[in-house]
Amino acid sequence: MRLTADGMHERLSTMPNHLSPENLARALNTLVPAGADDADLYLQHSTSESMSLEEGRVKHVSASTQQGVGARVVKGEVAGHAYTDRLEVPALLEAARAARTITDDRQHRPPVAIAVSPAPTALYTAANPAQDIAMPERRVLLEHVDRFARSLDPRVVQVFASLSCSHTDVHIVRIDGSELHDVRPLVRLNVSVVVEHNGRRESASAGGGGRFGLSRLFDKQQAEHLTREAVRIAVLNLEAIAAPAGSMPVVLGPGWPGILLHEAIGHGLEGDFNRKGTSAFSGRIGERVAAPGVTVVDDGTIPERRGSLTIDDEGTPTHRTVLIEDGILTGYLTDKQNARLMGMAPTGNGRRESYAHPVLPRMTNTFMLAGSHRPDDIVASLERGIYAVNFGGGQVDITSGQFVFTTSEAYLVEHGRIVAPVKEATLIGNGPEVLKHVSMIGNDLALDPGVGTCGKDGQSVPVGVGLPTIRIDRITVGGAQA
Amino acid sequence: METVARQLVDMARSRGAADADALAIADTSESIRVRQGKPESVEREDSRGVGLRVFVDTPDGLAFASASTSDVSEPGLQQLVDQALAMARISAADPDAVPPSGAKHPETEELRAWKARHHDQAMPWSTEAALDAALACEAAALSFSPEISNSEGAEASFGLLSVAYASADGFASHYNRGSLGLALSVLAGSGTGMQRDYAYDQGRHLEDMRPAADIGREAAQRTVRRLHPDSLDSGHMTVVFEPRCAASLFGHLAGAANGRAVLQQRSFLADRVGQAIFPGFVRVLDDPDHSKGTGNRLFDGEGTRCESLTLIEDGRLQGYLTDRYAARRLGTTSTGHARRGLTGDLGIGTSNLIVEPGKIPLDELLREIGNGVLVTELMGFGVNAVTGDYSRGAAGFLIENGQVTRPVSGFTIAGNLVDMFANTIALGDDLTWFGSRAVPSIAIAGMTVACQ
Repeated sequence: MRLTADGMHERLSTMPNHLSPENLARALNTLVPAGADDADLYLQHSTSESMSLEEGRVKHVSASTQQGVGARVVKGEVAGHAYTDRLEVPALLEAARAARTITDDRQHRPPVAIAVSPAPTALYTAANPAQDIAMPERRVLLEHVDRFARSLDPRVVQVFASLSCSHTDVHIVRIDGSELHDVRPLVRLNVSVVVEHNGRRESASAGGGGRFGLSRLFDKQQAEHLTREAVRIAVLNLEAIAAPAGSMPVVLGPGWPGILLHEAIGHGLEGDFNRKGTSAFSGRIGERVAAPGVTVVDDGTIPERRGSLTIDDEGTPTHRTVLIEDGILTGYLTDKQNARLMGMAPTGNGRRESYAHPVLPRMTNTFMLAGSHRPDDIVASLERGIYAVNFGGGQVDITSGQFVFTTSEAYLVEHGRIVAPVKEATLIGNGPEVLKHVSMIGNDLALDPGVGTCGKDGQSVPVGVGLPTIRIDRITVGGAQA
Repeated sequence: METVARQLVDMARSRGAADADALAIADTSESIRVRQGKPESVEREDSRGVGLRVFVDTPDGLAFASASTSDVSEPGLQQLVDQALAMARISAADPDAVPPSGAKHPETEELRAWKARHHDQAMPWSTEAALDAALACEAAALSFSPEISNSEGAEASFGLLSVAYASADGFASHYNRGSLGLALSVLAGSGTGMQRDYAYDQGRHLEDMRPAADIGREAAQRTVRRLHPDSLDSGHMTVVFEPRCAASLFGHLAGAANGRAVLQQRSFLADRVGQAIFPGFVRVLDDPDHSKGTGNRLFDGEGTRCESLTLIEDGRLQGYLTDRYAARRLGTTSTGHARRGLTGDLGIGTSNLIVEPGKIPLDELLREIGNGVLVTELMGFGVNAVTGDYSRGAAGFLIENGQVTRPVSGFTIAGNLVDMFANTIALGDDLTWFGSRAVPSIAIAGMTVACQ
């Protein structure tokens, strides 16, 4: 396998020599029956390293290597997959034969040769993030985080910090013999603390990362900023009162609260659900699903973001797809199979967790464009409601459209003023309805710090979200205070 | 794979590790998905992997690291050992680190007897039989009611997992575990009135499985009954959790009884051993050797012999789940609950978690309660392990005058797990197995419900 965009011949050093273009062509020709609509070989080699600190000590360091090949053939609505971690020619041919069985098509098509296909300009460095900061230096950073957290507040009783990085090398050999290459770095720093005061214990965490080298996280200001955030929120929660229960106006802060869009809108617009008619958004393109002024996009092309990809896992360059424009539903997110079956163009959203998982249409970075209101004015507009600045996770039932997401930093607001922090509460709403109640959009769009992981059908992939401050006139808040 | 595990430990020792243990797995699995009566996808997987923990002596005590790889070639293993040793040497020494050697391993005779009962030799299903089951399951759902309008498909999966463990003290063993699963999700209604629900079963052997058509009918029945949901009034009320939802509550209990979480002050059950957590009629145990469970094991992730453990007796917390590290720090001995993946540090987890059922049927239980809400689905992650604060999305049915009346959705239930456990009114007699958890319905008084 040789190939890079600029035509340099570079063998993937981690792949065995016998996976030559000739052997890949053999496997491809074994895999693909005459009537196939699509097929690919997905070769992956990943390394990852992580280090974690607790009780002031780096207690655990680990590393892992994962490699393998996924063979896939698609015919109409039917797909066959076979995965093997044996990077040997017989195993590859066996996988190719196993994957094609379901197509029940014994005809072969004329053989194709493997040819390097130019990839778009990479959105991130190809360098292994693990190589720019050595492990002893990582240990020093984590120990600094621990000391810094404890110096910020005497109520800090536990500090957990972890640093992880991975480097994934992907080669995709497509049905026509074209071969695409992408090298994907990913790094992450996480800080959580437990605080205790007068017998009450609370916790909070903060994190950040993206597709760049570890050195970016070694900016001390960045690590200290995350640490300060974790301590600030944990201490704040020591004073939190029970959240109210019932329907009320809610203001969401900028950045990670964009998880609202991921759950309420994004999943419901994934092509597989819409092709099968199982989503609450099925067949609704052109309809109003949000208030005027609301524009939501999924953009996999932002350099170095956690949710970005130069090409998706089918080799399609990622796009910026407008999902909702000025309140009107305009697009779905697709992989190749669903795009073909729906008569649409693929949007570059075909993703898989690894070679050992099937491709699914998935989000990349999903966010709402900024409006014109000042964030302060939006909060001040609340007569009585919740101002939610940060969230934990969320979930959606794409069929009924019901979705939830849970606050991790939120305040009770009365007469436009913050009264008190409130304990975490789950917010529940209906995807096709909730954005119709957006009445103010801030001028402060922010993307999240690089912490999102999306789960679907048992597969996890890194994603991003973003939001300006917005006001939703009505959503149900699941506090304990009835 | 036992040979590979032994080989890794020997290599680590010969290259300077003070102690080491290794896990090796081989997994062959297949899954078949059908939709609208036709095959939609087949997946076949064949994977192997090894994970190694190495401990090295440092001037300040033992330090350790772990590494894993799916490259089990000779150079791959050598690289793994070198990498693990290099990382261990830059880790901080931990005076409480517990090296693998010296765990209380099962005896050879016990291993033989256990394997005779639990060691699976062959794939538990064939591709053709799995395909037929998936088709039969979906067909039963689609023909159940004219209101069933669509299907997300049925998936039948099966596999054979081989797990081997070796420790530097000479202990080595392995076992094979078969697994099968059949799951279906269907839709009823149309447009903005669509609802979806699912049913599934899983087990180790084909004879453990419910008939495919029963699973199909259950999925259809669950889906149809959710059509045209109402909202309900916000307020305090009794919430009855169906077994599938109750299982998550007892998962939170097990998570809070995790000895490592207790040490890290990240558990709402810290310092509660001996105290009443539930009313006296509640008993919860962890049984690593149960004919129905999928969580059977004879030794845990560090080779410690697993034994049955009573977590809650007469409503009182009897102790924490521990591995050898947590046990040393808590001043006890390991309960054999070390959980280990190929990558990362040891964790702690249950084997088969079993909640002893109550004596009264669910409908009688509902009559006693009178009014409240029956929860059949929970959504979201609003559970705080440190404080026990609980707030989740839910769907289910209204209980009025002792009867299940209308479907309700789009509401939240909130409380604190400490109060919720204490406010348990009753357990149903409907003990239901979900793989490695067996749980009956549970009724909890005084939760806060919020709705539009």
